[in-house]
Amino acid sequence: MILLELDIIETASHYPVPALVGFTMKANLKSILGISLLAVASVSAAELNVYSHRHYDSDAILFKRFSEETGIKVNVVKGSADQLIQRLSSEGKNSPADVLLTVDAGRLHRAKSAGVLQPIKSEVLIKNVPVTMRDPEGYWYGMTVRSRVIVYAKDRVKRSELSSYEALAKPKWKGRVVARSSSNIYNQSLLASIIAANGKDKAFAWAKAVRKNMARAPRGSDRDQARAVASGLADVAIMNTYYLGILANSSVAADREAANKVSVFFPNQNGRGAHINVSGGGVTASTKSKKEAVRFLEFLTSAKSQETFGNVNFEYPVLIKNNKSELLKSWGSFKADEVNLSILGAKNSEAVKLFDLAGWE
Amino acid sequence: MRRLKHEFCFNLNPWTISAVLIGLILFLPMAEVLWHLTKPAENWEHLRDTVFGRYLKGSILLVVGTATLSILFGVSSAWLVACCEFPGRKIFEWALILPFAIPTYIAAYAYFDLIDRLTPLLIWVRVNINQEAMTLLNDTIVYPVTIIVLASVLYPYVYLVARTAFTRQSSQYIESARTLGHGPHSTFWRMALPLARPAIVGGVALVVMETLNDYGAVEHFNIPTFTTGIFRTWLAGGDLPGALRLAACLMTFILLLLVLEKWMRFGARFHKNSQSDRPFQRFPLGQAKAGVAIACCLLPLVIGFILPLSRLVYWAGLTVAKVLDMSFLKLTLNSIGISTAAGLTTVLLALFLAYTAKYFGSRTVRATNRLAILGYAVPGAVIAMGILLVAKQLNSATGWVFTGSLTMLVLAYIIRFLAVAWHPIDSGMEQNCEQLNNASRSLGASTAQSLIQINMPLLCNSLVAAGLFVFVDTMKELPLTLILRPFNFETLSTKTFDLAKQAQIPESSVSALCIIIVSLLPVVWLNRQIRTMEK
Repeated sequence: MILLELDIIETASHYPVPALVGFTMKANLKSILGISLLAVASVSAAELNVYSHRHYDSDAILFKRFSEETGIKVNVVKGSADQLIQRLSSEGKNSPADVLLTVDAGRLHRAKSAGVLQPIKSEVLIKNVPVTMRDPEGYWYGMTVRSRVIVYAKDRVKRSELSSYEALAKPKWKGRVVARSSSNIYNQSLLASIIAANGKDKAFAWAKAVRKNMARAPRGSDRDQARAVASGLADVAIMNTYYLGILANSSVAADREAANKVSVFFPNQNGRGAHINVSGGGVTASTKSKKEAVRFLEFLTSAKSQETFGNVNFEYPVLIKNNKSELLKSWGSFKADEVNLSILGAKNSEAVKLFDLAGWE
Repeated sequence: MRRLKHEFCFNLNPWTISAVLIGLILFLPMAEVLWHLTKPAENWEHLRDTVFGRYLKGSILLVVGTATLSILFGVSSAWLVACCEFPGRKIFEWALILPFAIPTYIAAYAYFDLIDRLTPLLIWVRVNINQEAMTLLNDTIVYPVTIIVLASVLYPYVYLVARTAFTRQSSQYIESARTLGHGPHSTFWRMALPLARPAIVGGVALVVMETLNDYGAVEHFNIPTFTTGIFRTWLAGGDLPGALRLAACLMTFILLLLVLEKWMRFGARFHKNSQSDRPFQRFPLGQAKAGVAIACCLLPLVIGFILPLSRLVYWAGLTVAKVLDMSFLKLTLNSIGISTAAGLTTVLLALFLAYTAKYFGSRTVRATNRLAILGYAVPGAVIAMGILLVAKQLNSATGWVFTGSLTMLVLAYIIRFLAVAWHPIDSGMEQNCEQLNNASRSLGASTAQSLIQINMPLLCNSLVAAGLFVFVDTMKELPLTLILRPFNFETLSTKTFDLAKQAQIPESSVSALCIIIVSLLPVVWLNRQIRTMEK
């Protein structure tokens, strides 16, 4: 089978064979190559290597501040968390990474199960991070909080019509809901929280009914869901709070307008509370700079850093009541689901399977 | 048996041994993926019963649609440019290959809001028909949109081969057809098209492979395909065995297409006629027909190049002050540096492998070469998975970290793009060097001497062309780079993807433009060489 002749590839040979060649570029290309190879950072003691899923301006600001305060240089590889976890596990004990930062407890749990994190004990972290927002064994700690809420069109939906996630499954919402793909971990964790609260069968029925109520097949980012509601395509969207903050502060006028047309509703306030999740981090199993890595996490959960996350990226601090951002305050205070986030991680793969079965792409 | 004996008694030397080893090493990651098929995948039944059909359907729809539209765009414009005379023909001749410089994911970003623009129409459907019709329309419309976006930047593969084929036919066959009283229409349908079919099928095959390899565009438009399915199963579902099964299915799917392609050619080969010195008289078109011809050429060019480029330029103008700083220079240097490294090493390896197989007439080396160039038919994401698997084993065996180094990344590009360099070099050698090699050998020149003193100077053009192809492909490459890049290492393509992923598409346009500009230079240069060759 493999020896089968790849005629297709041979088409490349029917690309023209050029007639004239100049090799004057050669020297230049070589020197450029040299520069880029030299640009690879070498690892020394006063450096911290961070694998991060977070690509927000707030993080760049905080990393810089950390370097200024401690003299420890922060090197970052940004990537999708899932790929970074795969990479950490492939690099094993020789991995150069010291810290993994990612969003969603589901992923942090995945990293823990993959054996790429190590448990750490720190009085500061225990004081900074509430118990439901960290791993019981200390493998990971929350850093910021976001709530997955219902965003609705102000002109077409009354607040009194909204109540809970569960209510979105009712026939009343047929063709009026939008949400993103279930490949996204935020949806997986939401469904995991529903499994934790209502059991597997009810969670499956919920996913199936909500998928049927959608105005379109899941598509785009959380921001796109808000845009769809603002444009009149749908009436309610399931999305994370901070995206609305980003839209409201966008440089694009249309996005600011869209943010104006919609509002936030925190569901399940008469029950378990709105689903929240964290972004957080852990120290890798392979680190050779454990002390610095712990210090880094302590720095990120300190009160001052927490304020930066709120102001720049519209995320809640891990101690939600400490929130200082005006925009976040304008959405009102809310009751948060207090399920231990590590449970959501444990139920993640079950949630993905239920989505597959329910036909929620 | 005698062949085997010949192989082992006469062809065993440092050249052939290292060529075989290199070929096998380059094939290793793909073998690793296939080997994982033998391992149990506990979730496979779940995947097969729930999502597999969706991925297959999405992939097939995209492939069929993109291939069809690429043929429409590519063949019609190639015919007009090669054999008809109308105002602007000379400009279209080179302009039509410009979309080559735009990677599929960047085209998708340039049209990111196309579907949102349709919202008023969708709402109209809801009000005037019903909500079900709106949802149905909304869910089907992503396919034509994605197909148009993909085909409008992939059709140059068809256009280029078709144009070359038509030009080569023209002076002899087409003039004869004309003498026999055939007009442009019947000449095209009854002679030119059937004659050019093998070439066109080859070009379409490349379009199909690029479509199946695409990750950025289908991810952006949320179309369920094998590539998005592999990423979802592997990364979101944490199910590596399941993802490997899907990857293997995709590889099988591609191999089937290769068989189909071969069958469709009926063994036919490209025609290489002795070229006539007489200039060819193109069919002159009347005013109305010339208008249609211009529209036919303008359409793919506008959709595939002018529109996306002008949108990117507009956005870049808005965001350039915010985006452009020293780190941007570094991005560009990283991209150029890694693409140069990939181009040079791939060309050297391809030269070595092709030469060794030819010089020693070794069947074993020929076979391992075939294995090594399979990488071009395998999507980047699958190769990256294979490399991670191999690296993991090497890692636990030796303690070295292979992942996350530039060497590893370059190696990955070599595996992915070896075929791109190998074919021009191999066919160049076949045309120019074979007899000279025999002569030099009988005159007592060493193997290395004949490589350096005979083959390399003669192949100069092919080598540069091969290097350029790999350079541009590496520059545009996304999924491999995303998975395997080292610390703090951003390229123009990863930066573009990162920003677009954060819905900062206007901000991503500056790096997207840089990729296009850098890719444009070789594309333009290339076109001049083709024209020299066609004449």
